[in-house]
Amino acid sequence: MTGYPEGYTSPRPAWTTGRGLYNALARRADVAAKYFAVFLLDAGGLAALWLLVTYAYAWYVLDITAYILVPWWVFALGVVEGAILWESLGRSWGQKALGRELTPVSAEATPIRRLLYFVLWNLFSLTGIGFVFVPPLHERWSGLGLRRERPSSQAPVPWYRTSAGLFVAVLLVVTLVSALGVTLTWESLRRLFTQAGQTVEFWRALVRPDTTILLDAMRDMIVTVFMAVLATLFAVAVSVPLSFLAARNLMRGPVGRPIYTIIRGAMSVARSIEPIVWAIIFLVWVTALRSPFAGILALWVHSIADLVKLYAERLEAIDQGPIEAITATGAGRLSVLRYAIVPQIVNPYISFTLYRWDINIRMATVVGLVGGGGIGQRLINYIWGVQYRQAGTVMILIVILVWAIDYLSARLRAKLA
Amino acid sequence: MPTPYLVIDGLTKVYERGQVHALRGLSFSVEKGEFLVVIGLSGSGKSTLLRCINRLIEPTEGKIWLDGTDVARLSAKRMRRVRRRIGMIFQQFNLVDRATTVRNVLTGRLGYMPGWRSLLGLFSSQDKQTALANLERVGLRDKAYARVDELSGGQRQRVGIARALMQKPEILLADEPVSALDPATSHSIMQYLEQMNRQDGVTVIASLHFLSLARRYGTRIIALKDGQLVFDGPPKTIDNAKFKEIYGEDAEEVEVR
Ligand SMILES: Nc1ncnc2c1ncn2[C@@H]1O[C@H](COP(=O)(O)OP(=O)(O)OP(=O)(O)O)[C@@H](O)[C@H]1O
Ligand SMILES: [Mg+2]
Repeated sequence: MTGYPEGYTSPRPAWTTGRGLYNALARRADVAAKYFAVFLLDAGGLAALWLLVTYAYAWYVLDITAYILVPWWVFALGVVEGAILWESLGRSWGQKALGRELTPVSAEATPIRRLLYFVLWNLFSLTGIGFVFVPPLHERWSGLGLRRERPSSQAPVPWYRTSAGLFVAVLLVVTLVSALGVTLTWESLRRLFTQAGQTVEFWRALVRPDTTILLDAMRDMIVTVFMAVLATLFAVAVSVPLSFLAARNLMRGPVGRPIYTIIRGAMSVARSIEPIVWAIIFLVWVTALRSPFAGILALWVHSIADLVKLYAERLEAIDQGPIEAITATGAGRLSVLRYAIVPQIVNPYISFTLYRWDINIRMATVVGLVGGGGIGQRLINYIWGVQYRQAGTVMILIVILVWAIDYLSARLRAKLA
Repeated sequence: MPTPYLVIDGLTKVYERGQVHALRGLSFSVEKGEFLVVIGLSGSGKSTLLRCINRLIEPTEGKIWLDGTDVARLSAKRMRRVRRRIGMIFQQFNLVDRATTVRNVLTGRLGYMPGWRSLLGLFSSQDKQTALANLERVGLRDKAYARVDELSGGQRQRVGIARALMQKPEILLADEPVSALDPATSHSIMQYLEQMNRQDGVTVIASLHFLSLARRYGTRIIALKDGQLVFDGPPKTIDNAKFKEIYGEDAEEVEVR
């Protein structure tokens, strides 16, 4: 075009820029992740099958507790090679589960090619070297690669005629068989049906509540509700900002993605530790015997982990349209947040918070059982003290409380939807 | 010789994901006051082109001269200043459903407000009056305080137009503004765009799916195919042969009346 200064910049290879390098690495990681996801599913599945089969065999036949039954390196080799062989020659369950199949990329899928694929996987991909290249070496040289499965015009093979289907079926049966053998005995089953009488005293106590403790119990119940309220409120204050850092669609690029990964990872670890365990940790930490404070801390940590996940998933599902439109008006990043994102998330956020508060009420009772204060603590004290009438009274109160809060929160949430 | 208002020079866009070449070295220019219609098959790169002009999408290569500045090389901050002169409306309207109509329209002013004012939602009373006036102009004054999700598709697109009007744009990008609407409503929306073009002198670049609409409203048509320019000229020069070239051998023209 004429009339404009020619701002000439020499074209550089893409990977010499920071962004280009990141993209190149991300692509390789992406390809490797796709292959390894399938491989890990297959190898993991085969390992599980072997462990279960040997376990059941040892339990029922040899009458001992043992697994593997072969040297560990035989086991490892068998699992890894078995998985790769399965993937190369047939349709493995990992491929099936992730919706991929081994497709001819640049050559016909002859048995020889498949064997070549098997060998190349062992040589290059297992060591990771092959994934320095895109497409990876084993794919390049064998002409076969994992691709998203395509809808075919042929009728699907019934599951019992596929190796993946049979594998899953066998795995289920073996799991069931070994689980039954380990956890159930005839003796315990017999007791379940003959010894119901043992609990009579307890049931009798339930229908004769002790009204003298009502006032004290109510006081503890209020403590429990307060514990839940405080834990939820403090958790919201932390979770709302964190959720933005934990939303995949907002955290892109070389800085954002690691932050996202770290926060999501930490949250899922924190969530997988039950509140009751957190309560014990905090009881030790703040060294108190009967302490609602430790209970609050426990609920707080677990609520944060839970809420960040719920919030972030909601953020990931927002409509990109308004963001585009508000950006197009020339608004700054914060304004986009305020006008395009926040209106979409306020109601869901409130709804999740109510839901979590509802859970926290129940959790606060459980946390009390280990000494986290509130009504749960009172209950466990009565039970240890064999004061069944009082324990029964407390249980009735708890049922009423939980039911009421459940109803309230459900009603409020229905309003918000 | 005066230079054209908008000059696209060697514009290329490659989407990282899947290595899709959406635009391949596209070059053309637009004069001030033109009503340019972009046509082409689905996937030919129309949306990508429009979004590159206001950099909702980062172009991979090429230059975009808007009124003498290369938009493709501006910093994020400068880009925001340029964006507020570029209005945009969308196929899916892209309104904030939970907010009222007038509030949606007011967001058109965000580019002109200091950050703290927009965060606190302190729109000036003049902006509010303009917003109501613009709603009046698109015939939605009585819906000013209704929530957007109570409006019909045609009404929503009119809200979109009012929002763009708030920017007092020099140029309007319309990405398939009527694809989600019925024929009669389509014409009414297109007439608002035509009015902006004729009365306010706004340069309009609109992508459309129906050739009949393109012929009726465009002062010039360009056609894309696989990210390349395959036609550039006045509407009446598109004959049957050209049409087949753009849309493929099997295509039949469909009229929208
Ligand atoms: N975010 C994206 N990532 C990867 N590829 C994309 C992305 N957006 C668009 N594409 C691809 O770029 C090409 C051009 O897309 P574009 O949306 O610009 O076409 P279009 O002409 O607007 O089509 P339509 O008429 O369907 O809206 C298509 O092949 C599309 O698949
Ligand atoms: Mg499009």
